[in-house]
Amino acid sequence: MSNIKIALAGNPNSGKTTLFNDLTGSDQYVGNWPGVTVEKKDGLLKGDKNVVVQDLPGIYSLSPYSLEEKVSRRFLVEENPDAILNIVDGTNIERNLYLSTQLAELGLPMVMAVNMMDVVKKNGDKIDFEKIAKALRCEVVGISALKGEGGIEAAKKAVEMAKRSVVERGPGKLPDVPHVFSGTVEHAIAHIEESIQGKVPERSIRWYAIKIFERDREIIKKLEIGVGEMKHIEEHIRDCEKELDDDAESIITNQRYEFIQGLMSKALTKSEIRKNKATLSDRIDRIVTNRILALPIFILSLCVMWWLAVADGGPGTILTDWANDGFLGDGWHLPFTTHEVDGKDYETASEEFAKAEATVKAWEAGEKKASVEDEETGEISEEWDIDEAAYNAAKEVEEPDPSQFGVWVPGIGALIGAALEKMGVSETVASLVNDGAWGGVATVLGFVPVIFVVFLFLAFLEDCGYMARVAFIMDRLFRKFGLSGKSFIPMIVGKGCGVPAVMAARTIENERDHRMTVILATFIPCGAKTVIIAMFAALFFREMWYVAPLMDVIGIAIIVMGGIALKKSKAFAGEAAPFVMELPAYHMPTITGIWRHTWIRLKGYILKAGLIIFPACVLLWFIMNFDFHFNLVGEDGIDKSMLATMGGWIAWLLAPLGFGTWQGAAASVSAEIAKEQATATLGLVAANMDGASTAAHVTNLFASFVPACVPDASKGSVAKLIAMSFMVFNLFIPPCMVAIAVTFREMGSKAWGWLAVGFQLFVGYTLAMSIYQLGMLAMGCGFGVWTAIAIIVDLFCLWAVFRPGRRAEG
Amino acid sequence: MNTASIAVLAVIGILFTLAVRRVLKKGAPCECGGSRKVCSCKGGSCTGRCSCCH
Repeated sequence: MSNIKIALAGNPNSGKTTLFNDLTGSDQYVGNWPGVTVEKKDGLLKGDKNVVVQDLPGIYSLSPYSLEEKVSRRFLVEENPDAILNIVDGTNIERNLYLSTQLAELGLPMVMAVNMMDVVKKNGDKIDFEKIAKALRCEVVGISALKGEGGIEAAKKAVEMAKRSVVERGPGKLPDVPHVFSGTVEHAIAHIEESIQGKVPERSIRWYAIKIFERDREIIKKLEIGVGEMKHIEEHIRDCEKELDDDAESIITNQRYEFIQGLMSKALTKSEIRKNKATLSDRIDRIVTNRILALPIFILSLCVMWWLAVADGGPGTILTDWANDGFLGDGWHLPFTTHEVDGKDYETASEEFAKAEATVKAWEAGEKKASVEDEETGEISEEWDIDEAAYNAAKEVEEPDPSQFGVWVPGIGALIGAALEKMGVSETVASLVNDGAWGGVATVLGFVPVIFVVFLFLAFLEDCGYMARVAFIMDRLFRKFGLSGKSFIPMIVGKGCGVPAVMAARTIENERDHRMTVILATFIPCGAKTVIIAMFAALFFREMWYVAPLMDVIGIAIIVMGGIALKKSKAFAGEAAPFVMELPAYHMPTITGIWRHTWIRLKGYILKAGLIIFPACVLLWFIMNFDFHFNLVGEDGIDKSMLATMGGWIAWLLAPLGFGTWQGAAASVSAEIAKEQATATLGLVAANMDGASTAAHVTNLFASFVPACVPDASKGSVAKLIAMSFMVFNLFIPPCMVAIAVTFREMGSKAWGWLAVGFQLFVGYTLAMSIYQLGMLAMGCGFGVWTAIAIIVDLFCLWAVFRPGRRAEG
Repeated sequence: MNTASIAVLAVIGILFTLAVRRVLKKGAPCECGGSRKVCSCKGGSCTGRCSCCH
C-alpha cells in the first residue's frame, strides 16, 4: 500500500503542529494560541516515506462556522484520509472529546493521541485509555508531543489501522462507530440513514445523518435531497424536538456532552489535592492578567526584552559590538589569551595610537588642537592642545600589532580586505566588494545578536504560555474601543514577520474586522524592523534604551487609535467579534522548543541577508557609482550618480520629515525590498562621510541633514530628531513588498489593497512629520508652513479618533 | 582591469545571479520559517507548493 494519508485533527492549541514537526521533521511555526495553522500542511512521516501526515487547522467541532472548521471538515469528509490521528489535550480532555465523538462518526480508522501526558501525570490525574477506546471505538495512546514521546508510536498505530481497515473492511461492512445519543435521537438518525443510503460513502453515513438531523445547510444542499424526502426527514426531526423540548442542534450538543460526562466519570480520576486547590497557573494569572497590573506587566516585559537587546552594556549590545568589530570586522582576541605589552593592554595601546595619529594629522594641517571621535557615534570624544613636542612624540608611536597582545582571530571583513589587496584587484572592484556586497551584508548580519536576543525572549514568552495571556489582556483593552482580541493574535505573530501576520487575520470571519486587522497588523515592528530600531538605538539613543520598547508601544497605540478611527467609518462600523480562546497552563519551556522557535526566525533573517540584501546592495552600489551614461563617478562625484539622481526625484517629498535628501530617499525606498535593507543602504550611501567606521559615517550623514539655520548648540539634538523621524517613518509606513503583495491578496480587491497601503503611508508620514515639525518647534527652530500642516493633520487624526461613533449597518 | 579584478567580478556576478534566481524561483526567505512565495491556494486547498507556514 503506498501513500497512506494520516490526518492530524484536534482542538486548537492541543499540540498538533508540535506533533506534526516531530513526525515529519519539518519546522512549521508553532504557537500556543488559536489560528496558528490556517491551511492544511503536508509532510512525510520520518522513516516511512509512503506515509503523508497532514496537519489540519485546530477546530472545536465539525460544524462549518469558522474558516478552520471549513478547511478541516472539507478535507476529512471529501478527501478521505486513510486514518485520523486525533490529538487530545490530556489536561482538558473533557472538552476535547466533543470533537473526538464527531471524528469517530466519520467511520475512518482513528487513533486518539492523548497529549501532554507528562503534565497529566505531574498533576496526579489518571486517565483510563481502555475505557475511552471502548466507548469511542478507537485506539488510544498517551503522548507528550513537546518532549517527543509517543508520537511516532501513535502514528505507526494509525498506519497499521489504515492498512488493516483496507483488508478487513469489505463492501457492505459498516465501521463500528460510537452511538452516543438517546433512543429517540438514534431512531430519527436511523431513518435519515435509510433515506440517504447510496448518496454518501457507506462508512460516513452516520456522520452525514447526524449533520442532516442538525439541519446542516451545506450537507443538505450537497446531497440534493428531494423536497418530499426532506419533508419525511423533517417529520422525524420535529418529533424528536417536540419530545425533548429543544432544537435539533442543541439536542445533539447536549447529548454529546452528557455522553462525555458519563465517560469521564468512569475514565478520569482527578487528583484529590488538585480538586480543591488553585493551580500554579491560576495563581500566576491572578497577577499577570489582573485588571490593573496586566498592562504594566506586559510593557515591563517589552522593556526587559529591549533592554537585553539594545541597552548600553546589555548582552545584545556586547554581542553586536563583537559581531561588528570582531567577527565581521577587523578581528578579535580569543578570550583568556590576552596579556599586556609594556604594561598596556591592546585597547589602551590602540587608543594611544589613535590619539598620536590625530595629533600628527592635526599638526601637519596647521592646527593647534587635535581630537578623536567615538567610533560608534561619530561624536568628538576627546580634544587636546598640541605643540611641536607632542607632534614629535606622536610620530614615534607605532601601530600596535594585535597578535602581540594575545591569540588574534582576524574578522571576515579583514580577511576579505587582505585577500583583495593580495590579489591586487582594482580600487573600484575592491569598493564593490568592501562597500557594496560585503558592506551591506555585514551591516545586516552585524545585528544578528540583537535579533537573536529579541527572538529568544519572544520564544520564551510564547512557549511558557505568557503570549496567549497577552491576547487575553489585549482583548479586554481592545473591546473597550469596539475591537476584538482576535485581531491581536495576528499582531503577536507579526512581531516575527508581517507576512504570516496578515495571513493569520484570515481566522477572523467578519469581513470588516478581517480587513481592518490586515491594515493594522503590520504596525507592530517585525523582526526586520527590529534591525532599524537596533541601529538607531545604537547610534543615536545609546543612553535612551527605552526608545526601543517605545516603538512597540507606539505600534500598539497606532493599532488601538487606528482601529477606533476605522471603526467609526462606514466601511468598518460594527460590533466586535466574540473572542474565545483557551489559556494554556504555564510551563517551563524546553531548551529545544525555544531554540527551534528562535532558529526558525533567525534562519530566515540570515538567509535574507544572502538572498535579498546581497543582490540589492550590489545593485545599489552599481547605481551609486555610475551615472546614467555609465561613467564611473567616484567618491567625489557621488551626487551625480544614478542613485542620487533617482533619490532626488522623490527627496522633496521627504523634506517635511527632515531627511529630504537623496540618501534619505534611497534608504527609505530600498527598505521596501526588505526593511533591514534601510540599514544596509544607509551604510552604503554614507560611505563618503567623515569617520572611521560605518557607524560614524551614518551619524555624520544625519548630522549633514540638519538645516543650516539651526544654531550650533542645537545641531546634535536636531540630528537625533531627524534620526527619530527617519526611524518612525520606516517602521510605520507600508511593510516590505512581499507583505504588501499579501495585503493586496487578503484584502480581496485592488481598491481595498490601495486603501490599506494608503492608510499605512498616511500614518507613517504623519507620525514622522509630526515628530520632526513639532520637535523643531519645541526646540525653538521656527514655525513654518509644514509646522502648520503637521498641526492641522494631527488635529484631523484626533478628530477621527474621538468623534462620535457610527452605528453598525446591516 | 586586471585578471584578479575580472575573477572577483565574475564571482560576484555568479553569486548575484544565484541569489536572484533562488528568490524568483522559491520566494524570499521568511522569518516564519518557510519561503514567502505567495501561493494561489485559498481556504484549505493548499497544494503544498506554498512553503510559507501560514
